[in-house]
Amino acid sequence: MILVVSTCRFPLSEEEFVRPIVELIEEKGGSYRVRRYYEEIRFERYSKVIVCGTALRDFDYLNYVENFRGLAEYGGEVLGICAGYQILAVIYGNRLEEVEKIGVRRVEVVESNPLTVEREFYAYFLHVYALREANERLEVLALQGDEIAMFRVSGKDFYGVSFHPEVLNRDIIERFILL
Amino acid sequence: MRVCVLYSGGKDSNLALLKAWEKLEVACLVTLIPESENSYLFHYPNARLVELQSEALGIPLVVDSCPDDEEGGLKALYRVLRRAAEMCGIEGVVTGAIRSTYQASRFQKVCWDLGLWCFNPLWLRDEVSLLREVLSRGFEVVFTRVAGYPLRKSLLGRRLDYEVVGMLESLKQYVNPSGEGGEYETFVLDMPLFKRRIQILEYEVVGVDYDATLIVRRAVLVEK
Repeated sequence: MILVVSTCRFPLSEEEFVRPIVELIEEKGGSYRVRRYYEEIRFERYSKVIVCGTALRDFDYLNYVENFRGLAEYGGEVLGICAGYQILAVIYGNRLEEVEKIGVRRVEVVESNPLTVEREFYAYFLHVYALREANERLEVLALQGDEIAMFRVSGKDFYGVSFHPEVLNRDIIERFILL
Repeated sequence: MRVCVLYSGGKDSNLALLKAWEKLEVACLVTLIPESENSYLFHYPNARLVELQSEALGIPLVVDSCPDDEEGGLKALYRVLRRAAEMCGIEGVVTGAIRSTYQASRFQKVCWDLGLWCFNPLWLRDEVSLLREVLSRGFEVVFTRVAGYPLRKSLLGRRLDYEVVGMLESLKQYVNPSGEGGEYETFVLDMPLFKRRIQILEYEVVGVDYDATLIVRRAVLVEK
């Protein structure tokens, strides 16, 4: 079963950021459970974890990063989308920078990885925080300008994407589900 | 949270309104009426009828006009949302955007610049399931514009029903079933939040077979 973590402060935002993910899991015949960022979560109960994004003005999840520290002991696969990318970046000791990015941009893959096939693709961005630099705990997989658009946690199958793959790059989520 | 709903009077903005109503406090509707039909961002036909819908809903309407060009349209959006924030104390905006990243990213940017939250409850919805939800929730929807093959003028004035949904689904390769690309436009005569429904008394159809508009000449509110 896939754990889908909502980072949305307002339930109405889940229609936008969580529903598309669970619909994709359903389409692929997978089962899932949705939990919220402010809950205490036992990650080891699930085969995979997807931490979804949230509204541009929503930062409440950053007050609950401690709830995600348990991921360090988790042996499954994790996909962090936008807010989820930020949470992964922070728990592995990185510092987010203010990077306002709204709209479709070209992403350049710089390191081959199991989630992408093409060297370049267009993706939909909606964030005001991202990484420009990463410490040795993260491997940079893709760039958008000077922003790290995609990373992997070294030695783990934990991936962070600063864009929203559910919009233009559903294949990335599909490959993650099949990992 | 008090929000406004970007409201065109069609099925999508009404469904977005209903979803917002269920989870937030809807303080007002916001409508931009394009100066002509060539707007990139907003619906045109019968836009003035939103005043009647606002009355049916009992929700205040903040309305402004909007130039045809992209830049003018965006400036008008900033202006009208500023007014809505001042008049109604809104902290957020709800839109009926479904799949257009062009439309969605502009709404997101405007909201961010104005310090407002942005909610898009229909975002990435399967278009056919969305049409079915509109019907299952008891909306009464009429077609008011067709803008391209294979949708014909004869669709104008017709109610959205399951037969029409089936027809739109079968035309998926030619038109977006939700009409988000401007292939067609709709007007909501009734939905669960309307205290009274709208009855069209006089209308006129103008245009040619695959590019035509239904213009409502007279409409009234009647008991449900």
